[in-house]
Order: sequence, then C-alpha cells, then structure tokens
Amino acid sequence: MTVIPEATLSVLPRADGSARYAHAGYTVTASVNGPIEAQRRDEHAFEAHVDVVVRPAAGTGGTRERHLESIIESSLTQLILVKNFPRQLIQIVLQIETTPDNDYVNTKLVQASLNFPIVPSLLQAAVLALISAAVPMRATATASVVAVVSQEGTKRLVVDPSPRDLEQAQSVHVLAFTSHDELLLAESEGDFTVKEWDGVYEAALKICCRPTSTKAGIDVMLDDSEDAAGSDMRQFLRSTVEAKVAADLYWK
Amino acid sequence: MATETERLYVLPGDAIDEPLVPRHKKQPLRLGPGLRHIPPSAIVPTVAGQLVVEPRKNSMWMEYNGGRYVPAQNDLVIGQVQRSAAELYLVNLAAHTASATLPQLAFEGATKKTRPQLAQGALVYARVVLANRHMDAELECVSAATGKAEGLGPLTGGMAFDVSLGLARRLLMARSRDEGGVEVLELLGAEGLAFETAVGRNGRVWVGSDSPKTIVLVGRALRETDEGRLDVEQQRKLVKRLVREMR
Repeated sequence: MTVIPEATLSVLPRADGSARYAHAGYTVTASVNGPIEAQRRDEHAFEAHVDVVVRPAAGTGGTRERHLESIIESSLTQLILVKNFPRQLIQIVLQIETTPDNDYVNTKLVQASLNFPIVPSLLQAAVLALISAAVPMRATATASVVAVVSQEGTKRLVVDPSPRDLEQAQSVHVLAFTSHDELLLAESEGDFTVKEWDGVYEAALKICCRPTSTKAGIDVMLDDSEDAAGSDMRQFLRSTVEAKVAADLYWK
Repeated sequence: MATETERLYVLPGDAIDEPLVPRHKKQPLRLGPGLRHIPPSAIVPTVAGQLVVEPRKNSMWMEYNGGRYVPAQNDLVIGQVQRSAAELYLVNLAAHTASATLPQLAFEGATKKTRPQLAQGALVYARVVLANRHMDAELECVSAATGKAEGLGPLTGGMAFDVSLGLARRLLMARSRDEGGVEVLELLGAEGLAFETAVGRNGRVWVGSDSPKTIVLVGRALRETDEGRLDVEQQRKLVKRLVREMR
C-alpha cells in the first residue's frame, strides 16, 4: 500500500519557492511567496503573518479547506522564524492535484471525517516549498498519518491508510515532528484509548524521526528489519533538499 | 578554502559540529546570511544550503540560491523609483515588498537647489545604508565617507534584467570567473560588443549600450546562463552562438 514519496523542488518559475509532492495517492503543489508586504489588516507589529491557502482539486474551497488551512498555518508558524519579519506576509498556496479516491462530487461537502489523510502531504509540500524559498526556519518537519483498524477483534495500526482502510478505521491520527524530534502537530479523531494513542505515537515517530547516520561520507541507514512499513521521511526530506542545493551550487 | 575537500550541506535546524566552528583568539566570530546564534554557543542554520567556513577570517556563512531579496546593509542594489515624496524617493527593490527610501540629497553633489529629478520608473544604482527588520530599508547613491558617487546614481538608458539572487551574488564577486564560475560578460566583451553593466544584489542586472541589439543580447546571455545553469565552457558556446546569430 505504501508508496515511496516523490518530490520536486522549484517547479514554478515565478514563485519565490515551490515544490510538488506526491505520496500515498495524493499530489500537492505548493508555492511560497515572501516575505512580502502584508495588507493592513493582516499586519502584525512584531511578527510575520503566515497565510495558508488550500485549494481543492476541483471547485473552490469551503469549510474543509479552512479547517486544513488553520491546522497547517499553526504548525508552520512554529517552524518559520516569524519574528525576523515583522509586518510582513509569507503566503503559502497549496494546490491539491490528485486524491486517491478522486471524489470530485463531494469536495464541497462539509465532511470533517475525511480531512486527515491529506494533512501530511500538505504539510510536507509546504515545508519543501519553504525550504525552496529560503525562508528562515527554526527546523524542518516531517508528518505522517496512522489509522487504527480493528479486524476480527484485534487492532492493528495502518500507516498511510487507503480510503478503504479509513472507512473501517476506528480512529485516525495525524502526527508531525520537527527535526529536533519534538511533536509539532497531533490531531486525532474517532474512538481510541490512551494506550492506542501511545502506539500510534511510537509508529509515527519511527517513520518521521528515524535516526540516520551520515557520518564518514557514506549514508548508513539503520534498517529496522522488524517492520518495513512506512518510509523514512526524514531521510527522504534530506536527500531531496540536498539534491536541490547541489544543483543550485553547481558552480562551486 | 576549508570546504574544498568535503561539501557540507545542512538543513534548517541541523546541529553544526563544534569543531567546525572556527575559533580565533582575537577576532570575533562573524556569521553570514542563513545562520543564527542561539546563546550561549549554538550556531544553527536557518536555510538549506552549503555551510562555508573561512577560518582565516574567522567567519562562516551559508551558500544557497533562491528566495526573495531581503535588504542587508552595504548591499549594492538596483531599485526602481515608485514615487517621490517631500524629501525622498520611494524605491522598489523587489516585487510586492515594502519600498525602500532614498533621500533626495543622497546623491553626489546634491544640494537643496540642485537635486536629481527622477521620474516614476527610473532606475537607480544604490547602496543599502540601513537595513532593519522593524523599518523600511534606506538607500544612498553617494559614499558618506568621500562624498563621491563611486559608480552609484541614476541609470539612464539601457534595460534591467531579472536574474536569480545566486547569479547576482556570483556576478558581484571580485573574481567572478574563478570564484563564481561566470565568465559570460567578459566573453561578450571579448567578442567586441560595447556595453556597460551594473549588478544589483537584489537580482537585477542593468545593461547599457548605444545599440539596443547589444543590450538584448547581453540580457539574453545572462538569463540563459542563469536558467540553464551553464558552466564556463557552455557559456563560451552560448556567447559564440548568440554573437553569430546577431551578425
């Protein structure tokens, strides 16, 4: 089920920074412009205003998108060094291109229960675009979604659940971590116990914050043979960005 | 340079190994763009790029390309006059950003009676004197120490081309060919084209010449070098091709 994430940086020539990110059936293109002059009503005297716009694959955004925007915005405000740019605006536009089920018909309905699986893709695309725009940040972030599916009395954790898994899931959790292993975002819905949440946390931590050692010139990945489920998001982010930086500094 | 042996790419928030930070006995440590100091002694990158350490100057900075221009003190920039206020011009350094101020008396030989008249849209080559996150940037077209223009001032005729911030930085290097790997302007000059340029750190290059053909050719050569990420050898081929096409 799990698909290896793919990303390309600086895909849009006119934006300050941009990224296209595809993972688990979702494709998101993000553009970042900033720091630019904020409108008078958005201006904050001591920090930059982070404006996130989520655009659905079809139609105009509604309540669902506003909800996603608020989640992404509060996470990104923690990452960006907003105090460096008082009275400025950092604008992030996230265009959803494809979703796994492609339910074009229902995109405008208020369906709070279907939002969470896309949050990691949105957040990851936004972080990559911010890196591409060279917006000063405190740290980078990685995110993942985990569902608790009950099957014949036993519960199991599904990383990057498919739409079918989501239908059967008892609870869905989105977790994001900064590159300092701090919990950045935790949103959950459904019925779950504290013990289950702890299990979800451990699973997400393993995907988002797998320790890698890049010492001595060679990449030594600590392969967890016990479960190969889920990709190593942090290593993915690093290799994507390093490739971009190396291409930019071809003249060095 | 210290980084010739191994290129060190870092991401925002990565820890920088303690031995990498240069320790000079007398000089204070100088941090360039893309790094921040968290007291007491942590130095943390804020952008993704290559970490460059210069132990002789006791300085370190991040090398990266991209993003929007943020004014920094002593940068040479090309601004476009937006409008004229009572005592100053409001100058645009990058699209959609707050305009910088350029006092009307900050030109060579300017007095209350003889001050340059700049129309809306005029280009000026200026130095950033004051860059502060809480205030708009302030520019000047005259050196405060000598009272001379030193190459700064209004840019008449010619045309400004947009390039990436990285290329602008490379063009501004003292030895842009050896350090920055950009030779395209020298090559065009060697082909017998007569033109003059001014490079702004904010990603604008002004090209002036008597012949409009030359201006367009130089601008195109710069843009293609930037977008195609051409190395010196490819730049040579590009210049040959463009000059042949023109003749």
